[in-house]
Amino acid sequence: MRQLLLTWTRPAVSRPMTAVGVLFLLTIVIFAAASPWIAPYPPDLIDPVNRLQPPGPGHLLGTDHFGRDTFSRIVYGARLALLIGVGVVLFALATGVPIGVLSALFPALGVVLMRMVDVLMSFPSLLLALGLIVILGQGVFNAILAIGLIYLTTTARIVYGVALRLKAEPYVEAARSAGAGTWWIVTRHILPNMISPLLVQASFVFAFAQLGAASLDFLGLGAPPEIPSWGNMLAESRIYITRASWLLLWPGLMIVLTAFSLNLVGDALRDRMDPRFREMMRR
Amino acid sequence: MKLTKFLSGAAVLALMATPLSAQTLRYATIGEPPSLDSQMGTATLASTISQHMFETLYAFDASNAPQPYLVTGEEISEDGKTITLNLREGVLFHDGDTMTAEDVAASLTRWAEYGSRGKLLGLESAEATGELEVTLTLSAVNGAWKSILAFVNGGPVIYPAEIVSEAGGEPIAAENYIGTGPYKFGELRPNRHVELVRFDDFTPNEAESDGAAGKRVANFEALRFIPVPDVGTRVSGVQAGDYDYAEYISGDLYGMVRDDDSIQVKISAAPIFGLMFMNSEEGPLAENIKLRQAIMAALDNEQALQVSVGEPELYEATGAFFAEGNIWHTKAGTEAYSQGDPAKAKTLAEEAGYDGTPIKLLVSTNYKAHFDDASVFTRQLADAGINVQMVVVDWATLLTLRGQPAEWDMFMTHHGTVPDPVLLTVMNDSYPGWWQTDEKRDLVAEFTGTSDLAARQATWEKLQALIYEQLPVIKVGNLYSFDIASPQLTTQWEQAPAFPYFWGASK
Amino acid sequence: MGRYVLRRTGAAIATLIAASIVIFAFIHLIPGDPVYVMLGDGATPEQVARLRNRLGLDEPLVFQYLIWAGSALQGDLGQSIFFETPVTQVIAEGAETSILLAVITMFWIVAFGVPVGILAAIRQGTWIDQGLSGLAMLLASVPTFWVGLYLILIFAAGLGWFPSSGFPSVFDDGGLYNLRYLILPSLALAAPNAALILRLTRASMLDVAREDYVRTARAKGIPPYRVVLRHILRNALLAVVSAFGFTFAALISEAVVTETVFALPGIGRTVVQSILRRDYPVIQGVILVIVCLYLIINLLVDLSYRFLDPRVELE
Repeated sequence: MRQLLLTWTRPAVSRPMTAVGVLFLLTIVIFAAASPWIAPYPPDLIDPVNRLQPPGPGHLLGTDHFGRDTFSRIVYGARLALLIGVGVVLFALATGVPIGVLSALFPALGVVLMRMVDVLMSFPSLLLALGLIVILGQGVFNAILAIGLIYLTTTARIVYGVALRLKAEPYVEAARSAGAGTWWIVTRHILPNMISPLLVQASFVFAFAQLGAASLDFLGLGAPPEIPSWGNMLAESRIYITRASWLLLWPGLMIVLTAFSLNLVGDALRDRMDPRFREMMRR
Repeated sequence: MKLTKFLSGAAVLALMATPLSAQTLRYATIGEPPSLDSQMGTATLASTISQHMFETLYAFDASNAPQPYLVTGEEISEDGKTITLNLREGVLFHDGDTMTAEDVAASLTRWAEYGSRGKLLGLESAEATGELEVTLTLSAVNGAWKSILAFVNGGPVIYPAEIVSEAGGEPIAAENYIGTGPYKFGELRPNRHVELVRFDDFTPNEAESDGAAGKRVANFEALRFIPVPDVGTRVSGVQAGDYDYAEYISGDLYGMVRDDDSIQVKISAAPIFGLMFMNSEEGPLAENIKLRQAIMAALDNEQALQVSVGEPELYEATGAFFAEGNIWHTKAGTEAYSQGDPAKAKTLAEEAGYDGTPIKLLVSTNYKAHFDDASVFTRQLADAGINVQMVVVDWATLLTLRGQPAEWDMFMTHHGTVPDPVLLTVMNDSYPGWWQTDEKRDLVAEFTGTSDLAARQATWEKLQALIYEQLPVIKVGNLYSFDIASPQLTTQWEQAPAFPYFWGASK
Repeated sequence: MGRYVLRRTGAAIATLIAASIVIFAFIHLIPGDPVYVMLGDGATPEQVARLRNRLGLDEPLVFQYLIWAGSALQGDLGQSIFFETPVTQVIAEGAETSILLAVITMFWIVAFGVPVGILAAIRQGTWIDQGLSGLAMLLASVPTFWVGLYLILIFAAGLGWFPSSGFPSVFDDGGLYNLRYLILPSLALAAPNAALILRLTRASMLDVAREDYVRTARAKGIPPYRVVLRHILRNALLAVVSAFGFTFAALISEAVVTETVFALPGIGRTVVQSILRRDYPVIQGVILVIVCLYLIINLLVDLSYRFLDPRVELE
């Protein structure tokens, strides 16, 4: 546990950039948790008279074409960003880890499962997500599912690779020849050793989930348009780019900085990882 | 190094003058047109394009009155049910054949059977009774017959008889697009463009040009319709000289383009209006007129228009279905329009026995205005204690879902200005919403039973009042959409017609 | 070697078949009916039924799949419901744009990613390295459509250096000069992927530098620049080549959004539009072609990688 804590904190301390990233992520978390207290207006308060106001006092970051306060929507947007990120990571781990581990332990099953993963990987990821959304219908949960499916494949691949190596380790071989059961090996030897690669993978998946969700929102197929998400804010304000370009600036910056911070954190974690696994995580 | 070199090279290239083809009109469309077979579809874009190829027997002049176009005139029988049309002589089709009474009779017969608006006329038969004479028999007197024959959108355009009989109930294939218009079909390249080319043997109507009626002159060698779905891109494309004309520019860009010398603005001559249909067949609104009135009372349409259109010069909060100046304009019933009174709405909803059941509002994001209006309405209704749930889907799904009465209580769509009230979708019993009360039936019978304009106007007044009483639909408000064009383009019209045409235009 | 090629090819074909079933099943689960989109707002139920019948949409699904797969093998992907032209023609129409966009984007990626990656590796640990690696990570965190919108705002609407949108064919008026339409879209599309290649080049250079034979070469007194050129670079590029497979997949995916932003008549936008129009045959056809391409490219990359790198065993 202490080891785990150190893995998380030490890189942040040793690299100033990473520390800034962590601080930014903390801000996002605070925005999400305390949005009603931070946001000066409700995010869906319509005020046609004050539409398309430039940033200034009263409306810190201006208003959109409904006259809604941009800053308030940015603050509430943090909720969806976290929800999507956490949801996608959980989905990817909950599906990818069992698939990867089982495939490594039971080669016969592995041939079938990894082939199915191959099939999924042969689809362009965004098209796959788009197709799923169109079938399942628009919604936050479905967006999580659609993006999660993309990262199911990469997670399963990585877990598979790591598990294969672990399985070949002398101490695992030894445990096995001493008669240890599969369950014992998985819980005692494989999963505990997988935590740090999974943490790294989780932070990258979290980052790319932000970009994926933004793309879906932009195409009008992500979170329902009445929900204030940064991607929806971009999609809605797109036609005002020449008239009110700030409307695109803030939500865009939020997406970029969130993804950037997560990438910084993931990178720092990876550099602290066991070199044997580092190579697998290059992407 | 390599990168900078390439970049500066490209910049120099881009600064050089663009070679412009002065002979082609480049029109940036909102999307890809469906089939151009005018008889079979009602898509606006398809009509805009196809009217250059396919022509109707009558055409609307500048004051919106139907004038003889492919005909020279007509005789009407005593009882008003038999109409004899005299055709113009020597009109050539794109394949070189001459238009005959057979072609006209075959086209009208197919349209009456399969056409999108084929049932409107009540055509019993169309027969060739001479080389250039066609006799129409109607099942009942239809006061709007000339307007119906002049309306290109889903209307009775004239094709060669053999093409009509080959196509039957299916849309005519692109290689068989043959009409009498000043332009003929060139090529269709998916996602790139549809191109029409000048028909050199075109036979014009020699009457003086007046609106779409009279003489049509093709100055451009070709008309090219290019799909550019993004509105910002359409605007910057005209600014940059990549397009000569671009349709459906959003209201919020009006202020910007109005003051831009590199753009001329073409405001539409006739408004389009948003409509929120109510389900008269199933669900909480089906029998509950009081609840509908509660909804009506809660709405402040002006607010919705402010959000969805933005520019005050481009919208008009009015409940009348026909704009001022139109022969069908009346204010009957419109005092119920845009009350914005949540207290009254609350009372009415209580009286209606409303228990908070969610009301499903079906809306698509493909049309930004639909979604904007729906968002404002939902918020206003929430303030009146009426619980509306937006069901946001794409347009294709909406078109399917709204056919299923159990799936929705209200849905958003829009409507263009039509030449006659019978062409309004709400008048159609089988249009989703399925408004078919006894009162409606009686008034509609009265309306179509006479061709006397004054009598028909009086009945339309009663019909509009009935719409505001029974509320099969709520009108959002008038929106004058606008198109933009390059400053060099001159057209035959000042304000953009519902289907902009480019004969008589040049640049 | 022969057995290896056979095995990999067989696996690719199996994947393709499985993928085709998935594509077919997926597409038909999409709610919404193409017939309504085609007939417009005022369609009558009889018109709808007639058109459904004509398009074969009322046949059983299994039957529809067999017909589709059978003709696909003969190069016939069916008729587009919307355009009423062969799907192959719709794809061919978009192929020029998409291929040129991919090639130009690849050019930016290699022209920027590889040299800068090498620079970062040579200056490992210095502020140059840190700055470049940070920049790469930032680029990888930017949504392509957002970059695209600002590129249009600045370089097309503002400065007027490049066209804002669209792409007339290079075979039309203007010829190769029309390629200027693809500069901004390719830059937007290249940004995140160049970042990826940059990081990959840097990392594999550093890896190779640690290998024994490079140390040996150094110990033998070969000048450092020759070590870099002869040994490190060549081997590091191998790793980059192997990344082309997934870079291609990423390009195709992100091109969907980029083509939408820039209104390019490419395959990506065709798919999005076809989804909205429920044009099943086009969606199926395009995705099938893309999946095929992806599998072929990956196969070639795999084979050439094994062929080029003497250290990799063939079995």
